[in-house]
Amino acid sequence: MFVKRLLLFIPLTLVIFLVQSYFWVPTYENQAAGNPDRLVTYIEASIGDAKILNPILNADSASSNIVSHVFEGLLDLDEDLKLRGRLAIDWQITERAYLLVNPHHRFPDGTEVTGAKLFQKIHQAWKAGTIEGLQDRVQSIELLPSGKRSESISLLLPNAEGKPQLKDISVTIDVPERVALTLSEVDQDVFDRLQPILGERYFEHFPYDKLIHPQAAVPQELEEPLRAKFPDILPVGEHNPTILFHLRQGVNFHDGHVFDAGDVKFTYESIMNPKNLSPRTPDFEPIKTVEILDPSTIKIIYKRLYSPAINAWTMGILPEHLLNEEALTREKQDRGLSEEAQKTFGMRESRFNRHPIGSGRFQFVEWQGDEFIHLRRNENYWEGPAQYQDYFMRIIPELFTQEVEFRTGAIDFYGAQPHQVDRYKNDPTYQWFSSLGFAYNYIGYNNRKPLFADPMIRTALGMAINVDEIITYLVYGEGKRTTGPYPQNTEWYDQSIQPLPYDPQGARAIFEKAGWTLNRDGWFEKGGKIFEFTLITNNGNPIRKNLMTIAQNAWKKIGVKVNTQVFEWAVFLNDFVNTGDFDAVVLGWSMNIDPDLYQIWHSSQAGPQQLNFVGYKNSRADELIVRIRQEYNRDRQEELTHELHRLIHEDQPYTFLYAPLSTRVLDKKIVLVQKGSDGTEQFKKIYPTKSGDITFYFHKWRKLELTPDF
Amino acid sequence: MHDSKSGASLKAEFVSLDAEGLAPQETPWQEFLRIFKKDYQALIGFWVLMLLLVTALAGKALTEWWVVFDPEAVRLTDKFLPPLSVPSPDSLPADRPFGGVYLMGTDELGRDVFARMFQGSFVSLSIGFVAVGISLGIGVLLGGVSGYYGQDKVSLKTVLIGIFLGGVLFYFNWNFLGYAIIAMLLLTWIFRLSVDTLIMRFTDAMMCFPTFFLILTAVALLPPSIYTIMFIIGLFSWMGMARFVRAEFLSLREQDFVIAAKALGVPEWRIIFRHMVPNALAPVFVSATIGVATAILTESGLSFLGFGVPPPDATWGNILSDGKGFIFDAPWLFFIPGLAIFLVVLAFNLVGEGLREALNPKLRSR
Amino acid sequence: MAKIGVDAGLLSDAVIGSSRDNRSTMWNFIVRNVAQRLILLVIVSFVAHSFIHLAPGEPSEVDPMNPRMKPEDIAKIRAAFHLDEPLYVQYAYWIRDLATGELKSFKDSQPVLPKIWDRFLNSLPLFILATILVWTWAFPTGIYGAVFRGGMYDRGTVLLSYALISVPGFFLSYLAILWVVGWFGVPVISIKTFGMEHAELPYKIMDRVWHLVIPSIMAAIGGIAILSRYVRSQMLEVLGQDYVRTARAKGLTEDAVIYGHALGNALLPFVTMFGLLLPGLIGGSVIFEQIFAWPGLGRLGYEAILSRDFPIIMTLNFIAAVLTLLGTLISDILYAVVDPRIRLH
Repeated sequence: MFVKRLLLFIPLTLVIFLVQSYFWVPTYENQAAGNPDRLVTYIEASIGDAKILNPILNADSASSNIVSHVFEGLLDLDEDLKLRGRLAIDWQITERAYLLVNPHHRFPDGTEVTGAKLFQKIHQAWKAGTIEGLQDRVQSIELLPSGKRSESISLLLPNAEGKPQLKDISVTIDVPERVALTLSEVDQDVFDRLQPILGERYFEHFPYDKLIHPQAAVPQELEEPLRAKFPDILPVGEHNPTILFHLRQGVNFHDGHVFDAGDVKFTYESIMNPKNLSPRTPDFEPIKTVEILDPSTIKIIYKRLYSPAINAWTMGILPEHLLNEEALTREKQDRGLSEEAQKTFGMRESRFNRHPIGSGRFQFVEWQGDEFIHLRRNENYWEGPAQYQDYFMRIIPELFTQEVEFRTGAIDFYGAQPHQVDRYKNDPTYQWFSSLGFAYNYIGYNNRKPLFADPMIRTALGMAINVDEIITYLVYGEGKRTTGPYPQNTEWYDQSIQPLPYDPQGARAIFEKAGWTLNRDGWFEKGGKIFEFTLITNNGNPIRKNLMTIAQNAWKKIGVKVNTQVFEWAVFLNDFVNTGDFDAVVLGWSMNIDPDLYQIWHSSQAGPQQLNFVGYKNSRADELIVRIRQEYNRDRQEELTHELHRLIHEDQPYTFLYAPLSTRVLDKKIVLVQKGSDGTEQFKKIYPTKSGDITFYFHKWRKLELTPDF
Repeated sequence: MHDSKSGASLKAEFVSLDAEGLAPQETPWQEFLRIFKKDYQALIGFWVLMLLLVTALAGKALTEWWVVFDPEAVRLTDKFLPPLSVPSPDSLPADRPFGGVYLMGTDELGRDVFARMFQGSFVSLSIGFVAVGISLGIGVLLGGVSGYYGQDKVSLKTVLIGIFLGGVLFYFNWNFLGYAIIAMLLLTWIFRLSVDTLIMRFTDAMMCFPTFFLILTAVALLPPSIYTIMFIIGLFSWMGMARFVRAEFLSLREQDFVIAAKALGVPEWRIIFRHMVPNALAPVFVSATIGVATAILTESGLSFLGFGVPPPDATWGNILSDGKGFIFDAPWLFFIPGLAIFLVVLAFNLVGEGLREALNPKLRSR
Repeated sequence: MAKIGVDAGLLSDAVIGSSRDNRSTMWNFIVRNVAQRLILLVIVSFVAHSFIHLAPGEPSEVDPMNPRMKPEDIAKIRAAFHLDEPLYVQYAYWIRDLATGELKSFKDSQPVLPKIWDRFLNSLPLFILATILVWTWAFPTGIYGAVFRGGMYDRGTVLLSYALISVPGFFLSYLAILWVVGWFGVPVISIKTFGMEHAELPYKIMDRVWHLVIPSIMAAIGGIAILSRYVRSQMLEVLGQDYVRTARAKGLTEDAVIYGHALGNALLPFVTMFGLLLPGLIGGSVIFEQIFAWPGLGRLGYEAILSRDFPIIMTLNFIAAVLTLLGTLISDILYAVVDPRIRLH
């Protein structure tokens, strides 16, 4: 029967056709060996795809990885985590300080404060050198006349339904006469130094109401919040730190266009453009103005003292000619968008974000969504081209398949978990690294709850957990105990502070001292209530889930009853963390190199939606935090941070668990190529720099044909 | 009758009544047993399920009520021990597993995998049963109403009930859905459409969506909990059930005994619940058996994608998905739950198939 | 995928009766069917849009954990995405933007439709091959099962097909990857072998075919198992009909009876099942595309769920439903055309 044969023939032919395709495919061995291109190609696996390849818009790690290759900032961090010039060759930080004439005040000698008088007194003291620290810092003093300016103030207030809503209010400001001081270095105490001249309380009772006038009538409920903003927009004593950048000349973007100061200014303006919704806004918000002095010199003036602000300039610089108003208008007309879409069209919608053009070491070639991103080296890079010719980021969502591909040599790098790295440690064909990064894991207690109000109880809870055992077994030794809020590879961390000991007996003793007694079921009880709370964490992080289970178990052993729950990230944040409606959380922070802890630890940041969600409150800590962010001298900053670290360690608002080491594994054939002046090449083993990163010298990496012997 | 040939013929195996049969020499139950017992695949499946049921109950009892096997005890020093190994000598006596041996090894926290599987058997099974219970409830209700009231036009009463339902939704702040329901009911009333049309169009609409993707979306967006998962799986898998309960009711409605009961003035609810539901139940039962299997598989799929039942509840699905990361380090963490799921789902499927064969007189007559 | 069988005959309101071939009734039939589906389309769009907004949480772009994000900024982003508007307004925005093709993803502000189209093209070979595998394998398997009912072959295939649908898909895929990579040392992950840009065309094509093989087999297994069960019972049904007995009585060979008379009639109802395969393929592809790093629709949907990219999720659901509607429409019309017994009314 024909039909019968057909019914058998078709599926069998199909299967034979499918199976024979196997013989056309190169085996993994053929791909890696005998393919010279493979040696200058670097393939990295990523769990997720990049979202948006624009340095001022991206917010995810895959995007920032690509962006860091394609774009370049004015500065970056060198091997020792010090700032180093890239697109900028050099920079100077100075200050301009302004002191308003406060007509409500009298000098200590009883005379009235006027502009001329104030200027004269300060000038005299400066010339005479009667005030310590004034003469060597201040370069010039002048008196500025009074003036007028208008400004718009944004207020965030709950509307009738309780949802926050933005209100803008325009005001006119009569700026009184003021004395301007130009300083050779930033000095947060300059106004304090002037106290002998100004007398005490010069900065209080400033007549704002006479000087600031709203342009339209202000509803009554807005008056109070508006008034609270006055000292911010017209400070009596104003610090204006200033950075002068000298830019590198002869740098081109990948399309050949010359880089200059205009691109820097454009980048800043794009970030601050509210239409772009840039997540970088907070880093650049302290900037008052950006002035182009000439195509290779640019001056950044800040509104107030904020020493970490300079770190923001490590961010990539955008090419103005491809993204300015003119270019965007051209693009939206080319794309033939509707009226409505044209109105909302902005940088976020631009094609640039999928075809980025920067000035970095690598230039963009191709992006296949959820498949790969391809970069090729920039032959015209000002420091010379990189060793690798091509860079691929392959998107492989499963760790298992990533590992399969890695083992067979189809990818060079993947984010190996500690247990995976453990297997490669004794394998001579691989090299592995483990190094301290900027992150740490902790258990945070809701300090507002009476159960956790006592620092001793928090200490006891910390003592019940065997952190060393966690490090050894849970993360295979890839962790380091940590005692405080700073990353251990920065100088802000005080190495002399000892971690809490593992001492369940001691922990019990503390509980008993605090009046808790063990009941018949083996739980601590006081006044008929047992010590019971809920420990929560977010979904999707197996390490945190395990830490939660381990802590629950450890506390159960000393007699503390703990319930655990895991929530999806958005729910976790909105319903528990942001509202402060939780007992204890397992979480981790990933810090930067800057020592500013204002958001996480200052008591003013403990409201809903803020990051001090544990509600830590210590007035000395508050003071230290503010001084640290205003200090521009690294040595003085270090002293302050050590004190803060000790203070937080004593208070134990968190149980600081450990800092995970970043673990990495690479084929041993990948080496660091060092070129001698005579063109000879030397191969060195790759090593992690102080930041814990191994890719600092990525541009010098290359793959050898044979495994080197070191 | 308004059913299609294609539907009828494909569903023929569910149609339990056949007019051409001779007078039975044995009761249908005896006949069913005789055939079912001959099907040894189904029989083995049946005993596996019985065993599983006992295991699940014992698991609940012995891991939660009387903790003989402690699924939560963390022993980091005993991490990744293979099956049948003994605890390391320095472990605390209180932490030793029952019988002094890790029957199925330990996981990355040194927890006893056997205890976890034991506890998980109850949870996994209850997910299957509850989810199917929900889909059964919705399916039988909608399918039954649709099949029995068939072509009746929507009455004002129905519209009022619908408006009440919409009001309930408003109360829960699901305004949009409330509006949608009320608008739809009003439209059907205005255009004089039938209840059947209304329900079946909605069923058809739901059927157009990719079920697993829908479940995944809902589970991912809602707060994760074991109840959410049961509820969501049930909520999105009633459509098939509703469709053939309707078909069953449509054909039963025309049967002589129903017509006779109607003629005798037997109340409507009695006709539905005493006469029709029991007759429609057999095929529903077959479908429910297979539904449990599908629900267990769906749960494991969700776990794989990271949206399974959150801890502290252990299910086979989440043990398997936790274990997949350690496939090279501790293969038993992957294979034990994987095989367990496979066996149980297979058992459910075979029993379902056996039931179907045994309940279908048309096929069995040959 | 496991739903295919039970749902057969969905939407088909064609009714069996005396054959009456009439062009105008055919048109009536089509118009009626299209109209019904338009109504369904509206319901589907309601469901696709509203059910997503019943859940709490918001797009991940609104990241409250960004240490320096101010509440003012979050409020701005919410406003830009219309998240504070009432639901029906959001629905109107969605429909409008979908119709004009200017719907933007929350995640990267790129237009949604081209994005979905790209992924659809990636998924298409996988869908097609899986479908072909299902249909070509299910029929012989099922027919032989029916012909040799109760024999070793029949029992074997029953058990095997049940075994195959009882394994969690990802479990089987993991085993397959381990086996193929371990024994044969060839790549199986992703859409093609990396670094084949310079290879010759036949190699490139065969390489793509090879990468299709394992994921499509994985995706097809469930379908083969279920469909072959239905083919089998359908065949059994038909083999018991009078005209088959008559054919046998006429003294025709068994093959002629089965493949000549019975098969054609047994196959007819399966025409309607074509359209119903689609939602299963899209839904089922999430897991396989995730494992095999396949940049298709399922991955797109999964990533969108993870980042709460509502426009993508809603549109994907909606498009899947529309495709299903189209599929069933086509199969209903086909069915009406092929089956002379159907009276169109």
